[in-house]
Amino acid sequence: MRFIGKTNIKFIEKRRIWYAVSLIFILAGLISLIFRGIPLGIDFLGGTEVVVRFEKPVSIGDVRSAIAQIGLAKSEIKTYGTHNEILIRTSEQMEGTKIGEMILSALQSKFRDNKVEVLNEEKVGPRIGAELRRKAFYTVILSLIVMLVYIGLRFKPIYGVGAVVALFHDVLITLGFCSIFSSVSYFNIEMNQSLLAAILTLVGLSVNDTVVVFDRIRENLKLHKSMDFISLVNKSINETLSRTIITSGTVIVVLIILLIVGSEITRGFAFALTIGMITGTYSSIYVASSLVVDITLSRQKREEKKKLLKKQPVMTK
Amino acid sequence: MKKNRWKIILIIISIVATLWYLYPTYKDINYQKKLSELRGEDSLKFVQQHIDDIQKVKQKRIKLGLDLQGGMYVALEVDIVKMLDNLAKNKDETFRQILAEVKKKAVVSQEPITSILLREFQSRGIRLSRYYGDIRQSDSEIISELEKQAEDAVDRALEVIRNRVDKYGVAEPSIQKQGSNRIVVELPGVKERGEVRQLLQSTAVLEFKLLKPADIAIKVMQTIDNYLAGKGVVDTTDTLRTTASSDTTKKDTVKTIASELGADTTAGLSEFERFKKEHPFFAYVRVDEQTGIGFVLARDKKMVEYILSRPDVVNLIPPDFEFVWSAKPFTAQDGNQYYNLLAVKKDPEITGKVITEARATIDPDNNAPIVIMRMNSEGAREWARITGANINKHIAIILDGTAYSWPVVRTKIIGGSSQIEGLDSPEEARLLEVVLKAGALPAPLEIVEERTVGPSLGEDSIQKGLKAALLSFIVIVLFMVIYYSTGGFIANLALVLNIAFILAVLAGFNATLTLPGIAGIVLTIGVAVDANVLIYERIREELAIGRTLRSAIDEGYSKAFSAIFDANITTFLTGLILYNFGSGPIQGFALTLMIGIIANLFSAVFITKVIYDIIAEKYPQIVKFG
Repeated sequence: MRFIGKTNIKFIEKRRIWYAVSLIFILAGLISLIFRGIPLGIDFLGGTEVVVRFEKPVSIGDVRSAIAQIGLAKSEIKTYGTHNEILIRTSEQMEGTKIGEMILSALQSKFRDNKVEVLNEEKVGPRIGAELRRKAFYTVILSLIVMLVYIGLRFKPIYGVGAVVALFHDVLITLGFCSIFSSVSYFNIEMNQSLLAAILTLVGLSVNDTVVVFDRIRENLKLHKSMDFISLVNKSINETLSRTIITSGTVIVVLIILLIVGSEITRGFAFALTIGMITGTYSSIYVASSLVVDITLSRQKREEKKKLLKKQPVMTK
Repeated sequence: MKKNRWKIILIIISIVATLWYLYPTYKDINYQKKLSELRGEDSLKFVQQHIDDIQKVKQKRIKLGLDLQGGMYVALEVDIVKMLDNLAKNKDETFRQILAEVKKKAVVSQEPITSILLREFQSRGIRLSRYYGDIRQSDSEIISELEKQAEDAVDRALEVIRNRVDKYGVAEPSIQKQGSNRIVVELPGVKERGEVRQLLQSTAVLEFKLLKPADIAIKVMQTIDNYLAGKGVVDTTDTLRTTASSDTTKKDTVKTIASELGADTTAGLSEFERFKKEHPFFAYVRVDEQTGIGFVLARDKKMVEYILSRPDVVNLIPPDFEFVWSAKPFTAQDGNQYYNLLAVKKDPEITGKVITEARATIDPDNNAPIVIMRMNSEGAREWARITGANINKHIAIILDGTAYSWPVVRTKIIGGSSQIEGLDSPEEARLLEVVLKAGALPAPLEIVEERTVGPSLGEDSIQKGLKAALLSFIVIVLFMVIYYSTGGFIANLALVLNIAFILAVLAGFNATLTLPGIAGIVLTIGVAVDANVLIYERIREELAIGRTLRSAIDEGYSKAFSAIFDANITTFLTGLILYNFGSGPIQGFALTLMIGIIANLFSAVFITKVIYDIIAEKYPQIVKFG
């Protein structure tokens, strides 16, 4: 069986259009990131988070009024999984673990005939939150630098640049999508350690497709020395297209299964990674390879210019 | 075939090793199933019979993270600001201002609090010796002394927490020191959050209690023994008792035959059975007649604890009488681990609050480890009275209800300075120092991070995670067979091995499987076939340009390798970075990801190549790539 036979799609020729498409997506994501952001999870924010399960369904409003009575009106309250399960989060800092106990006793007195059970309770001190935020930022930057160096060494420096710009593009679009979809409570998206894990995994996985294409370009450069660069890159992309689609396809299918069937806790992770894999596949062609083409072409032009300059007669006295 | 011999041997070894590492997990799951069917004493009995094996497989099985089995994660930190406050002398308004400033800055800064303190003092031109230490000491000397104090406080808290958690009876607790002033406690399966907080944060109680005279201690134990023997056997289940007794009779006949034949081992066993029936208590507790101190095999401790906690047995114990356990087991000459069971007077002679100093050191006369302990004047007066009245008797040092040492009083100690000798090792002396100081806590601990996962959520997560893994597996396996025919079949074989390798390595390295870890495995299922896809697509290309099957396979493998290698290395590198960043669950994910990549290179590239080498030669007709 075969999905994709021999193709001869002119990918590179249309790169300008796709640059524009990428820019639009990135801009939309950035706008959402700036104005809406991604809600910070307890890991990064610090504070207390309690997930409770009621015996019978309750309304968010009732829970909110119970919580407001103990002075935590500003808490974030949302359903978690089913309607019986409620997540309550407050950034309020109090000594020890009093907040969790207060919340529980407030709920117990409000819903007397409805049994409350604590499923999950987390408390993160402000020092830890700040520590994690700083570490997370450096970690992402570090992973991008490592990729730049590795690809640059294994191929040529400009390939490293192409791959890392593509990765940056993937990370930005993924974060943008996470921000846009953070209002959909099903996906359970928030900026926490597992979203960061998703971003880093995405950096590792999305570079795979890029490597496959680059590897073929490197091979074809040795085989077809006289071919012009655009056609050569095009040929390489077309030759690897089938495997790019299948390898990304298997990963995306698995991620969608994890998103739908897996636990609520890993949903945000699966969502981010699904988006990341799709953009990663796309960017290996339209960002990484296209950029390598543009950089190479502009270099060639510059060198030709230099040659032309050299050929001009020089005035001497 | 021949050139692959070593490769085949390597593959077989790796598969055997995998099964060997996964077997304890399989066995532990079976034990758990069995134990959940049994109740009360039956389960205690079962545990006792299989204790060695149960503990062995528990240690060697794949550990589940707290997010999967439910439980509590607590990080505690020494409240250094409070410590600074407690230790300062001549506190005035300036000091309070400075401390308030330090407290405010500490929240946002990553710097050690002591350096913030130092800077605050220096910027005001005040020397630290105004409030701390000695007037002749320099600032840096005082700072290092304060840091030492904080670290001591952590060590103390570590011992107190260990002792309490042991007593609380959590299955596999993990209590670790992180950095210089953080303690991370993981308590799987714990639900009572309030109790645990109490356990971790309340002040330790250190008491000195007098050991009961040997004859009285033995008399009480005898009463318990007689009572238990008179009532029957320790176990109350009728069915079990009848089978047990019929067993004894059977063994008795065996014994007569066996003793005639001279087989002593069976005889010894049934002798013990009979002794156990007559002396249900002394069968577990061996008593030293001189001191009245009991010796209990480490594996019998739970059983004896259970007996002593029975309400009818509690009634037999006199009101001013109490049994306490030794804190740590010791290894006796017979190679077994024993705990001591001490009979003490319930009311303490004195509490640890009077202790002002404790120091582990070396006796200059004989180089033996000793501990020197000093008391305040009020304590010293009391101590002189107590020691004077109890010469040649044992006084137990008891922290939160477990005994760490029970030295004999040699003379009346006047002046409050005592010396504890006869310790086995410098470590023991150091531990005793920590224990003696534990009563006074200049630096309280605060909870800086706490995560609780209810067991039902953990169970739920496992179910959903496994479901996602299974479904992904089925989808990928079907796709590969449909798309690549027999080639897909071999890739699937590699995939199964890949997953088995990941689990075996997790078990072998004593690593923990977390929920993100399961997500990592699911992801691996999707990524693992990538290598095979790359190779097969390449082989298809090579076949299309007219190569023979053999050479197409060889070319496919060698040409796809560089891409596979680069792709896997990049993912591995990000995994490594993630591992260094993350905490618990995320590290679990990074770990499975990294193990998955190595396992993938081995199974999807190395093993499948060997398989193709064999079958492409022998049965080329079945090799197809779709």
